[in-house]
Amino acid sequence: MYKVLRLALREYYAAVRTKGFIIGLIMLPVFMSGSIIAMALLKDHVDIRERHIVVVDEAGQFSEMLKEAASIRNTQHIFDEDDSIQVKPVYSIEFVNVDTANILMQLGALSDRIREGEIHAFLHIGSSIVHPAEDPNNAFVNYHAESAALDDIRGWLRDPINNHLRRLRLEQAGIDESEIPDLFHWSWVNAKGLLKIDEDGNVIDAGASNEIRAIAVPLVMMMLMFMMSMMGATPQLSAVMEEKTQRIVEVILGSITPFQFMLGKILGGLAVALTSTLVYLGGGTAFMQWRGFEAYIPYDILPWFVVNLVVLLFMLGALMTSLGSVANDAKDAQSLSFPAMFPMMIPMFIMMPVLKEPLSTFATVMSLIPPFTPMVMTLRMASPVTIPAWQPWAGLAGVIIFTLFVVWGGARIFRTAILMQGVPLKFSNIMRWMTKG
Amino acid sequence: MNALTLNNITKTFNEFTAVDMLSLEVPDGSIYGFIGPNGSGKTTTIRMIMNILHPDSGDIQILGSPRASIDNDLVGYLPEERGLYKKMKIRELLQFYGQLKTGHGVLADVDFWLKKLDLTQWGNKKVETLSKGMSQKVQFIATVVSHPKLVILDEPFSGLDPVNTDVLLQAMLELQKNGSTVIFSTHDMATAEKVCDYVFMIHKGKKVLDGTLHEIQDKYGSDTLRIRCDSKPSGLDRIAGVDKVHDFGQSQELRISPGSNPQDILKKLMEDNTVLSFELMKPSLHDIFVRIAGAEELHHV
Repeated sequence: MYKVLRLALREYYAAVRTKGFIIGLIMLPVFMSGSIIAMALLKDHVDIRERHIVVVDEAGQFSEMLKEAASIRNTQHIFDEDDSIQVKPVYSIEFVNVDTANILMQLGALSDRIREGEIHAFLHIGSSIVHPAEDPNNAFVNYHAESAALDDIRGWLRDPINNHLRRLRLEQAGIDESEIPDLFHWSWVNAKGLLKIDEDGNVIDAGASNEIRAIAVPLVMMMLMFMMSMMGATPQLSAVMEEKTQRIVEVILGSITPFQFMLGKILGGLAVALTSTLVYLGGGTAFMQWRGFEAYIPYDILPWFVVNLVVLLFMLGALMTSLGSVANDAKDAQSLSFPAMFPMMIPMFIMMPVLKEPLSTFATVMSLIPPFTPMVMTLRMASPVTIPAWQPWAGLAGVIIFTLFVVWGGARIFRTAILMQGVPLKFSNIMRWMTKG
Repeated sequence: MNALTLNNITKTFNEFTAVDMLSLEVPDGSIYGFIGPNGSGKTTTIRMIMNILHPDSGDIQILGSPRASIDNDLVGYLPEERGLYKKMKIRELLQFYGQLKTGHGVLADVDFWLKKLDLTQWGNKKVETLSKGMSQKVQFIATVVSHPKLVILDEPFSGLDPVNTDVLLQAMLELQKNGSTVIFSTHDMATAEKVCDYVFMIHKGKKVLDGTLHEIQDKYGSDTLRIRCDSKPSGLDRIAGVDKVHDFGQSQELRISPGSNPQDILKKLMEDNTVLSFELMKPSLHDIFVRIAGAEELHHV
């Protein structure tokens, strides 16, 4: 065991003593949260140039209302509350007569005006918008702009238009709006957690279930696991390939067995990843406590996170080192790294559906498939729902058995392939080495 | 006691038999030279001794114990292809290799060997800054720093200049003096002749020579004439009783046929040339090697 630990120590020092490791340690969270930081930094840097919007109203019902809505917004909602500086753009509305005979030509011409920068967007309201049932094909409100899907104006238009439609319908039904004062009061559906009854029978109110707890915490844990795997296991593939091609392996094998060599490399990578994890978890926890967000720290999940991370790194480490022993050059290593990353990539692909319904059959099954268990089970456990208590244990048992199999198979491939130079990279060769040694 | 015993070991790779029923006994405390053309099975044999490859049949004993029951800590190994971590500092690297074998710090030994091989000032430099010859010496230190009982060196002199070759030879002799057994493979016959107590030759996976240099030479008898003339001699290959001529420029070696009289050859030679020196001798190891390996292998050597 001493030899394994000595080799692991060398691997560890070789990784953590480099400037690259320190820079990576600092830059990783910056890259991970880069878009959030950028959004926070740029939130006050809004383009406040006037937005000129042309309305083609085939229903003929919206000209006054939209102008009034824009006017209210331009006078009341575009200034900073503290220093009255304009922080949002002015919306100016222009109505044009509808050319019913050549409506498409008219829309085309307006599109050209957008392209030329004359106007920002145009709104096309169908003739049957007030009573869609009469002519469903013409019951539309289309917003045309160069980036219509992401444009804030589209979202702003929704409320004034829909409220106005309701008013029109009430009016036509002969109902006086003033008789129903709360007619346009919209209610939010609040996201709340589950209530608790303590030992004394007191009911503890449910806390607010917000996006941070529901989405950010699982995502951060998943991303951290992914990044630690990238840092601790993935580099093993090219490292072993280099040691093989530079003939270092034969020197080492003069002192230790191939299995000890492989195990030392896996443990070295594991130590590197756990060092980074310690830094991030420690730093993250301290930061959250300092900023008063301690309630969002999932202390109950952290032990499971660490256990699953260790198992994942062992599994990936065995996979990467054995595949590294098969590679003859950087090209081979690159080809092999793609399938080797499946246990990390598949959970990333299914992250959102699992997060949305952590108790679904799909999420449960995926979290019990050993290669995906560490990441998917952690994701489910970090979500706000309570998953059945047996599932994390069953998942852990499965992944440990699978990891032992990967280490066994990987060691058989490793001991055969590590001294072979120039043997073509073939799936059949890898399988033969694993089954027959 | 033998430091190493090979008993009918065979190793095949698919259809190719790299080592075929090889038996060998290496006495404790000896220097044993492994010679053989490229691809003859030297490195495969050494890898089996090191337990890196496993023989298909036969058994290996090291220091009197079966190979499987003895770990590599007692054996120092310098592979044919050099492998050093380029980014590591030399002292750290040598410590690492020493610790892998011994399980404890070997800094004093590292410094001893660095001084001995004139590398002290390079101790804190990275491996990537070393020349090929210096890397070779560092690799040698990595092999012997743990005081192994059996030292196996695969082509230790390749890439070394004559001065460093002598330094390494002296180091090998010192290891022997301190009780280690040294096995080394080489293509340098002159070096093998100089230091080896025993020479073993493998060709196409089979043992073709084994014994002391004198024993090997005695098998061939005194069948070589070395001559030196005042000018380049001509027509040597036409002299009756001469099987083969090896021209070294300033001197020539003639292999004489069994039963031929060297004096008759000298007489014939003197008819056309002025002979400055004439010596009847046993064949050199080089000559024996070439006779066995043949012209094709000579080309590779």
